[in-house]
Amino acid sequence: MKQQNVLELRELCVQVDGKELLHNINLTIPSGEVHAIFGLNGSGKTSLMMAIMGYAKYEVTNGQILFEGKDITDMDITERSRLGISIAQQRPPTISGVKLRDVINYTSTHNSRKLSDIDRIIKDAHMENLIDRDINRGLSGGEIKRSELLQLLVLQPKFSMLDEPDSGVDVESLGLVGELINKLFSSNSIRPAKRKAGIIITHSGNMLNHINIDKAHVMLNGRIGCTGNPHIILERISKCGYEECIRCMQEGA
Amino acid sequence: MNTCYNNQLEKNDIETLADVGIIMEEDKKSGSFIMRDYEQLFVHSQIEGLEILPIADALDKYDWLRKKYYCKAVPHDKLEKLSQINDDIKPQGFFIHVHKGTKVRFPFNAAIYMSKENIHQNVHNVVILDDDTELHLITGCATQHSINSGTHLAISEQYIGKNSKLTSTMIHSWGSNVKVIPRSGTIVDEGGSFENNYICLRTAKDINSNPQTWLNGSGSSAKYLTIILCSEGSKINTGGDVYLNGQNTTAELAHRAVCTGGQINQTGLLIGNALCKAHVDCAGMLIDAGQDGYIESIPGLKALHPEAQMSHEASLGKIAPEQVEYLQSRGMDETEAISLLIRGFLGADVAGLGPELDARIAEIAELAGHGEE
Repeated sequence: MKQQNVLELRELCVQVDGKELLHNINLTIPSGEVHAIFGLNGSGKTSLMMAIMGYAKYEVTNGQILFEGKDITDMDITERSRLGISIAQQRPPTISGVKLRDVINYTSTHNSRKLSDIDRIIKDAHMENLIDRDINRGLSGGEIKRSELLQLLVLQPKFSMLDEPDSGVDVESLGLVGELINKLFSSNSIRPAKRKAGIIITHSGNMLNHINIDKAHVMLNGRIGCTGNPHIILERISKCGYEECIRCMQEGA
Repeated sequence: MNTCYNNQLEKNDIETLADVGIIMEEDKKSGSFIMRDYEQLFVHSQIEGLEILPIADALDKYDWLRKKYYCKAVPHDKLEKLSQINDDIKPQGFFIHVHKGTKVRFPFNAAIYMSKENIHQNVHNVVILDDDTELHLITGCATQHSINSGTHLAISEQYIGKNSKLTSTMIHSWGSNVKVIPRSGTIVDEGGSFENNYICLRTAKDINSNPQTWLNGSGSSAKYLTIILCSEGSKINTGGDVYLNGQNTTAELAHRAVCTGGQINQTGLLIGNALCKAHVDCAGMLIDAGQDGYIESIPGLKALHPEAQMSHEASLGKIAPEQVEYLQSRGMDETEAISLLIRGFLGADVAGLGPELDARIAEIAELAGHGEE
C-alpha cells in the first residue's frame, strides 16, 4: 500500500516584513515519520514551522503547503489547527489572565476528551501545580516546554512541530520531555499506522537518545541543504561544524 | 421558586433583571427591592435584622435618618447640581439598615430599571451597616433592551460600622441614548471594609461616576473594581476618590476598560491623610477606536502624611496579534481567542472574583470579542 504524505512543501518561499527568509523549500514528511531539522541560529528553522502553522507574519510568496494532499497555503491558523497541525513554540507568548487550564478546557471539550484522560496527561507532564497559572508567566524554560507539550498531548494533532523542545531543560528532565514527545508521536506503538508524524528542531544529540527520529534535514540560509540519517548528520556536524554542510551545499550547487 | 412578585413582572422585566444579575429565586437571596420606571414594585426582607424600606417611608419613620445620615456622605454642592435635573420628583429608592451583629448570608438584590422611553429616574439609596455586620448588596440598573432614552440619577450613601463589611456589586446595562449619573459616598468606621464592584455591560450615552469613600476608622479598608465595555457613541467617566483618614487604612482601586469605539476616562485619586497603604491601577484595552474613541487613564496620588505609602500604575494597549494566533494554534477561531484574551485582561490580577463577576466578565469579553454593543 502506498504510504501517504502527511506534509508536503513545494518550492516554498516565505518572507517576513518584505525580506525573503525561506527559499524554494521542498520537503516531504510521510505518514508516521518524525523528522529533525538541524541548522545554525537564524537559518530559517523556526520560520519554516511558523509558516507551516500559518502565522500571518510569515507570508508565503511562492509555492504550496499540502497537508494530507490538500492545499492549505491560504488557510488561517485555526483552520490548519483544526485539520490536525500543531506547534510547540520555543518562546511562546506570556498571556496575562489566561490560564493554562482555560486552553486545556477548551481543547479537551472540543476534542471530546475524557476528564480522567486530561487529569492523567496533566499528571504525566508534572504540571499539576502550574495548570492554574497564567500562560507561561513566571515559568522556567523546562516548565514552558512541558506546558507546550501538555497542550499538544490534549490536542492530539496528526502533525506536531516542536521547536527546540530540549532547550532550557535540565538533564534530569530531558528524559521526561522525551517521554512526552514519544507519547505525542505514539512512537512506541507496535502498529506503525498509529504513529504520528512531525518535525523537531534541535541542536542536541541528547534528544536523539530519547526519541525516535526517522530522518534529518540541515537548513542553511533559508534552504534545506541535505537530508539523511539523523545520527550520521549530527555526528558530522559535531565533528566538522556547519562549515562542512555549507561546503557540501556549495559543491552540490 | 417563590414567585410572589412574578405576577407583576412581564417576560421583558424578568429578562432585564437577569441581565444585571437579579435572580427571581427568593430562597437564594436575603431580600429584594424592585423599582420599574417611577414605581416601587417590591420591597421585602427575609432576614431578621435586615430592614428594608422605601427611602421616603424611612425618612418619615426615622428622624435620625435625616439628621445623621441622609445627604451626609455625598457632598451637598453635587447634590444641588444634580437635583436640577428633575427636582419636582420625590426621591425614590431604598433604605437598608443591617442591625448590630447581623451577618446576612445571602445577597440582597436591588433592581432599578426603565421599561419606557424618556423616564427620568431620581433615586436616593441609603445603606447603613451597624457594628459587626455583613451584607452583600447586588444592584442591577438597566433599561429594557428596546428602550434607548432616559435619565438615571442615583445617589447612593453607605455607612459602614465598626468591624462590618459591605460588598456592593453594581451591574449596569443601558440603552444607547441614556444619561447615567451615579453619585456615591461611603463612610467606613474602625475595622470596617467596603468592596465595590462596578460592571457596565451595555454602555449608556453618558456615564459619569465619581464615588467618594472616606476611610475614617483605623484599620478600615476599601477595594474598588470597575469593569466597563465602552462602545461607539458612549462616553464614560469612571472616577473615584478614596480618603485614607484613619491609621492603618488600606485601599485598592482597579479599573479595567475595554474600548470598542467609545470615550473612556479612567481616574482614581487616593488621598493619604494618615499611616496608610494604597494602590490604584488603571488598565485599558483599545480594541477599536472607531471615529473618536479613546482611553485616557489618570491614576492620582496625594499624600498629606509622611507615612502614607501609595502607588499607582496605568497601562493601555491593544490585543497582541501573537497572543491571538497562539490561541488560534490551539484550535480557537479568532473571535474565541480575542474573547478569551479580553476576559483574561479584565480578570487579570484581580483576586477572588466570584462566579457572578466571572460570568459578567465573560459576557463583556464575548460582546467585545464580537465587536457588538
